[in-house]
Amino acid sequence: MSDPTLLVLASLAEGDKHGYAMMEDIERFAGVRLGPGTLYGAITRLEQRGWIRPARSNDDRRQPYALNPEGRRHLEEQVANLNLIVRAGLKRLRHA
Amino acid sequence: MKRLARLLARLYPRQWRARYGQEFDALLEDVNLTWRDVFGVALSALEMRMKTTTAPRIVDLASRDIPHGYELETVVEYPRDDGSKMLVRGFLREVDLGDSYVTLTHSARGSEPAQTILVCGKKGQVAGDFRTDETEMLVLRADGTVQRTEQTVKTWLKYDAIRDRLREKYHSGMKAGFSPDEIHQQIQAANSLEP
Repeated sequence: MSDPTLLVLASLAEGDKHGYAMMEDIERFAGVRLGPGTLYGAITRLEQRGWIRPARSNDDRRQPYALNPEGRRHLEEQVANLNLIVRAGLKRLRHA
Repeated sequence: MKRLARLLARLYPRQWRARYGQEFDALLEDVNLTWRDVFGVALSALEMRMKTTTAPRIVDLASRDIPHGYELETVVEYPRDDGSKMLVRGFLREVDLGDSYVTLTHSARGSEPAQTILVCGKKGQVAGDFRTDETEMLVLRADGTVQRTEQTVKTWLKYDAIRDRLREKYHSGMKAGFSPDEIHQQIQAANSLEP
């Protein structure tokens, strides 16, 4: 799972986060370090699709984002698909 | 390193900077940047610039099956050299009647008057990947004039399979939640990777 948009959705599924918090969270749970350019490329695409939205913040500069219901649905579908692949892969490796 | 990254961040398109610039600069301040990050900023800025300034963008797309054919509605935004944008709205209906076919195209470019083109073709001999058809084309203009042309045209037979594959990609992509323009970019990226 290294698609930046999916990683951002997975990070926001836990709660609202700004860019730096997302980078740290993604590195922690996925072991992937997204650079600022890649991260904001993903944020731009996700906001254009309507899957995330800017959340309220008291910080003028650090903008947190929140997951929209459509984004949550997409993440659920993708995680379910990945789960199928992981289970099939593990089963086949055991039989190999 | 931070200074260089901030300089490179100015390469992002103006509209993007207006929306994300402040928070992106804040992120550059917060992160311990590597050379890879700096390179990533430059690459991302250039990609964003290419997307927003040169490529046409599919604003809307709808396709439906009809008896013996399909209909396609599109709205595409084309950037002009002066920075402004032009919308091109199009409607296409293709009907295959076995020995013959009818294609109706209605399109409007920006504020220009719309134009309708009706093509009636009679299928002819097949040689290799091509078929030689006898066609009659009517161009119906907004001023009421009609231009009629009869001609023999060579039709590429693989076009139908490619068109159907593209329609399927758009159909499944939109079902998965992608916008038509994102699917268009995915198709282009996949094509550019082909040997």
